[in-house]
Amino acid sequence: MREFVLTEMERAGAFEDAERTFQMTEDEFRIFYEQTARPMWLYLARTTGDDRLADDLLQETYYRFLRTRTAFESADHRRHYLFRIATNLVRDQWRRARKDAVEITETSEVLDAREDNAVGDGALGRIDVTRALEQLKPRERSLLWLAYAQGFSHEEIAAQLGLRTGSLKALLFRARRRLVSVLGDRYRSGGRRG
Amino acid sequence: MANHDCIHEADVVAAVLSRRWDRANDELKQHAAECEVCRDVVAVASLLSADQDHARHEVRVPAAGQVWWRAAVRARLEAAHAVARPLTWLHGIAGACAVGVACAVIGIAWPSLREMASWFTFEAFGADSRVADVAAFVTDALQRSLPLAFVVAACIVLAPVALYFALSDD
Repeated sequence: MREFVLTEMERAGAFEDAERTFQMTEDEFRIFYEQTARPMWLYLARTTGDDRLADDLLQETYYRFLRTRTAFESADHRRHYLFRIATNLVRDQWRRARKDAVEITETSEVLDAREDNAVGDGALGRIDVTRALEQLKPRERSLLWLAYAQGFSHEEIAAQLGLRTGSLKALLFRARRRLVSVLGDRYRSGGRRG
Repeated sequence: MANHDCIHEADVVAAVLSRRWDRANDELKQHAAECEVCRDVVAVASLLSADQDHARHEVRVPAAGQVWWRAAVRARLEAAHAVARPLTWLHGIAGACAVGVACAVIGIAWPSLREMASWFTFEAFGADSRVADVAAFVTDALQRSLPLAFVVAACIVLAPVALYFALSDD
């Protein structure tokens, strides 16, 4: 195994190469990154349940994005493509970790007991969303986050996950039901407490 | 069979994500109250979007310049790896060729060497038949072990190359 270490000159050259080999300039990247990095990190953190892994996957996602040769039709297309890369990376992680068989181990009462900072006036109580999502299968977390935090359409999510739209709707339905059952009945009816 | 989706789902999600749910029209709210699918959609979308809004301000991501720099350096390293890969193969092939050529040269020169050894033995020890027998035995053994020596030499050259490819990350 040979170690490759770049000299200072090579590092400087790396920037020139990057401008040629990456699909956007540094300034364009900066703007795009400022718009997408935080939602992307949150997506990675919530779907993997691991903040450190989210840090690593964030870098990997943008690296792969920069190396891609895809021509984007619009800003939305570009953003969806970025999430697609992230989704594939997360899926690879699931396969490696073999954590797909996560079962619901806690009842909604347990989660309700953890809830402490209630916010009234129509807003949801501050609950530990991460813990709630941990009760779901990784793919369910991904589906729910893309649909209900990022607002992607069913067609867009189906394309990202390589599913048919019909199958996706059924999966999304089950994921939603599962999360609602984890959260408990009082989060139903418009998110207000009963 | 349960109804998995509702035609109003996209409208409900859009209203929740744009924080207009409280101001959404009564018809949509009424529908969401009665429709099991939309009721769950409101609950889940409200929860996740609120979490996203809240966490967004707390999230610390690396600076764009840092991400760009790491990506640029990595791209350069990968390019260096890509360039080095055929060179490594070339080194392996060249090594194997060198061993082959060396063995061929030894094979071709072997009769001459044997003659030289016999001459030397004769000159050094005269007509002592016992020493001549030992010398003949040694040269014969060396000749027989030539293929084995060739295999061992090839392994010595090729093993590090094979190990490199087996253990390299890419």
